[in-house]
Amino acid sequence: MTVSQGKENKLNSIIRASRIISRMNQASPEARKSNTLYYQMIADYYTRLLEASKEGKFIAAHTVFFPTEILYAMDIVPMHTETTTWMIALFTGHSADMLSAGVELGLASEICTPHRGLAGAFALGVLPRPSVMLWSNLVCDNTAKSGELLMEINHCPGFFIDHPFQRSEDEEKYLVGELRDMIHFLEEQSGRKMDWDRLADIVARMDRQIELFREINELRKAIPTPFNPQGFLQLLTIDYLFPGRPEATKYLETLRDELVERVKAGQGAVSPERFRLMSLFIPPMYLIGFLEKISQEYGAVSVTEPFFTYWGEGALDPAKPLESVVKKSYMLPEMRMYGPLDERALNGIVNCAEQYRVDGAVYYADVGCRHTCATIKLFKDVLDRIDVPVLTLDCDVVDPTITSEEDVRDKLEQFFELLEDRQ
Amino acid sequence: MFGWLCTYIPEEILHAAGALPIRITGYSKETELEDGNAYLYINTCSFSRSCLQLGLKGEYDFLDGVVGGSTCDGARRLFDLWRNYIDTPFYHVLTVPRKYTQPAHDLYHSQVKQFKTHLEEFLGIQITDESLYRSIVVYNESRNLLKRLYELRKFDTPPISGTETMEVLNTCFRMPKELFNEWLRSLLDELSIRENSHKSRARLMVVGSVMTNPEFIESIEELGGLVVTDELCTSTRYWSDPVVLDRNITPLEAISQRYLNNFPCARMFPSDERFNRILDLARDFRVDGVISQIVRYCVPYAHDLPLLTERLKGQGIPTLALDVEYGTSGSGQIRTRVQAFLEMLEAKRN
Repeated sequence: MTVSQGKENKLNSIIRASRIISRMNQASPEARKSNTLYYQMIADYYTRLLEASKEGKFIAAHTVFFPTEILYAMDIVPMHTETTTWMIALFTGHSADMLSAGVELGLASEICTPHRGLAGAFALGVLPRPSVMLWSNLVCDNTAKSGELLMEINHCPGFFIDHPFQRSEDEEKYLVGELRDMIHFLEEQSGRKMDWDRLADIVARMDRQIELFREINELRKAIPTPFNPQGFLQLLTIDYLFPGRPEATKYLETLRDELVERVKAGQGAVSPERFRLMSLFIPPMYLIGFLEKISQEYGAVSVTEPFFTYWGEGALDPAKPLESVVKKSYMLPEMRMYGPLDERALNGIVNCAEQYRVDGAVYYADVGCRHTCATIKLFKDVLDRIDVPVLTLDCDVVDPTITSEEDVRDKLEQFFELLEDRQ
Repeated sequence: MFGWLCTYIPEEILHAAGALPIRITGYSKETELEDGNAYLYINTCSFSRSCLQLGLKGEYDFLDGVVGGSTCDGARRLFDLWRNYIDTPFYHVLTVPRKYTQPAHDLYHSQVKQFKTHLEEFLGIQITDESLYRSIVVYNESRNLLKRLYELRKFDTPPISGTETMEVLNTCFRMPKELFNEWLRSLLDELSIRENSHKSRARLMVVGSVMTNPEFIESIEELGGLVVTDELCTSTRYWSDPVVLDRNITPLEAISQRYLNNFPCARMFPSDERFNRILDLARDFRVDGVISQIVRYCVPYAHDLPLLTERLKGQGIPTLALDVEYGTSGSGQIRTRVQAFLEMLEAKRN
């Protein structure tokens, strides 16, 4: 499995850009302190990864919704694969070479760009070679099927976590067993032992972080809402990259405190707040700056994201760390759409729309994402029952050739006009 | 009558309950999928869209129930939409693990038990071990007869073509198995004295996504290729591996073991289980080349393709990769590519 090699290290671009944003934030009296912390954390995450690679340390590459807590408890350096592809698109705006390299490997165009780009990135040597590849079937076939090819490209061993589709006692027990087997695999491969006390501490912090996520969500119900239009992407990244880490708690507490102050002061993220939106799925990363700008321009702000920020009920128990990691995997907001989309799952969307008093929803229909796009009609119909209009934006989270900024602007402007007419 | 979607659904349980299991296959011809597209979006595979289209048109209204599994994104979303827009009285989805480990078997077995209980409650009956044994015998007989049919295809000039075999298989999904077995026994008797045997330019194997259209195979065979075997969930992966009865386990356990251990779909891990069985088939049926037909947006097979191609190449077997829509008859560009592939295989042989 080879493709023509290119040696550009895009991770350095992420680090450089994050440090610059962080410093600019620090220098600006109006900037949110949480924003400064966030970009510092991103820069530190990738610096740690590059240093580990240089020093020949044990690195575990893993896919999305992976229980990274286990890696931190074993003091193993993680590399979140899909997030890294998104970050490259976000910070460099340039992922065409990675996508082409994925095609060169024989991956068909229907394989989503984060995974096609990822395989290409490894083949090009853009990303550090991991010691092991870890992946699961959360939440789609692309994730489930990506690991074996990445193992071959990287000439490394791997472990696949089989996450059951539904939730029952048997299924949770099965998942605990899967995690135990993975820990055993990691112990063998890395020569490190699982530190169960450390995992318990991480679980305790994770429990606290979930509480903070919920507090932040509560604050976002305020009118005007205090959190910036595309800010939810930071919340996603925090859980993707830093679950149970002390710096994540610090970020979330800082953000929570900032939002409390803003709510007290009646200070909205956009002024005036005209349209409260529900975001369904992930916007194109290369358009984040533009989306933030147009949101400010039109007073539109995402106040809820049922599949990304709306955590399930329950609490974690540090006395049962592994069971808690399993429990958390079922509490993930994204899990709302992994199991069967029954009445309960659909009611979750309606509840979000009502509680956050949304005027409309924007469905980012990533053309490469089959398990989300197949729900467009269903979610539209569910939201239609409570008279919430939905804009479907065909796009790609990574590939800028699918939709242009102008096209997105046109569609958003038309949607905002529609919302205005309704008001 | 109960519709089932995927080879990980144990048909014997439906049969033992006195129901007629019918495979949901959608339109096995190229057709307009307006409703399927509107409800499932075009990046869902055309197989799922086709099944939903038929369901939305009311053409599955005769079904008393549908049974599916968490097998792939297309299947699970099809069932999400089916549940919400099509009024079928009974509905059940099984969690199907992706591994072959003992805990995976335990989980799948518990899922199969739940399915049996749900069905018993719905029908107000009890599915006894005796009735399960009887159904296992009937289904194993079908598997055995199909295996005999495939054995005939190993001959230098087989008495049955790939197109005809696909037609046989299509009937298998829709008629009572007892009748099918009777019918297939007669066919095998006929084939044993059949004179018009099939010669070819190359012996081919078709692998990849779900496929039920004999015209696709016909278009290959019209060009002189002979499809002697396949790795499809509508053929070899459907009938391979009998339920092994063992005094030490219940019939339900035997059924569960068979379905999870059966010739795997690309969804299963590790993929080498599937690849090795493909390589075995290619060797046993003396295949010159492999045609991989992957329905657009069938991601599990698309991910496997680079790895499978490499393994086949290692055995000196070339692969032709075709991106198709479900139900395609293999016209136009596909014929051109198959023609070129056959020429390449001939040149390689000479």
